[in-house]
Amino acid sequence: MRNLAEKWSPAPDWRTATLQTPGLVIRSLTGFTQYLVSGDLAAWSRRTDMDAAAVGALSVAQGERYALRVARDRILAVSETPFGIEPGWRASGFAVSTFDAGLHMIEIEGPDMSSLFARATTLDPAGETASAALLFAGANVLCYRHGHADRLRLHVDRALAPYLWKWLEQAIVA
Amino acid sequence: MQIFTCPFCGPRDESEFHFGGEAGNTRPDGADVPAERWARYLYMRANPKGATSEVWVHMTCGEFFIMERDSVGHKVAASHPLGGAEKSE
Repeated sequence: MRNLAEKWSPAPDWRTATLQTPGLVIRSLTGFTQYLVSGDLAAWSRRTDMDAAAVGALSVAQGERYALRVARDRILAVSETPFGIEPGWRASGFAVSTFDAGLHMIEIEGPDMSSLFARATTLDPAGETASAALLFAGANVLCYRHGHADRLRLHVDRALAPYLWKWLEQAIVA
Repeated sequence: MQIFTCPFCGPRDESEFHFGGEAGNTRPDGADVPAERWARYLYMRANPKGATSEVWVHMTCGEFFIMERDSVGHKVAASHPLGGAEKSE
């Protein structure tokens, strides 16, 4: 029987995975709390004091706790520390699902970030859009800037993270 | 490559969208729907040449919407959410 494991390169050690060029640093981020919030986002905002509008693709999120717009009635709340809210349905009209294990986070930082973004997507690197969800190198990701204009963060389905990492490895040397 | 406009997200690449059928083809309801009506719903399409109104879905954000476009020239005239008043020209 063929050993199919030889066909695929092993997934990187996400705790230490880093790629570096003179104009870019790409890191894997771990340890974040991610909640998917669906339904009445205004009710969620009142409950948590977080902005219901949330950030879209290429908007700049600030701080250690922020929200990304996924769809008209759905956001992804992200925090470096646990939220003080239990997952589940709320009678005020929204549902909270723990999503830490669902999405892997990758951070791309440096002056060459815009040209890498232009290779991966068809979106105008200078523009903004309501939803953070887009196709990045063919994978469905949530994409936004964090802290400043040259730092991009991606949330990708965990099963696609090794593929996206491989794509980034090849894109930065090509 | 063509740019389509999602009523929620704005202009995006066509590869992010999926065709959902001709607009207005509503599913028959009730126990006494005749076979001809089911056949019309399931199999018969207007397939107009020129201006057409279609249901599309933006796969990344999950927005279902109506897109008005020309089936010959592929020019998109407008897109607006299903059942909503918002309109993106």
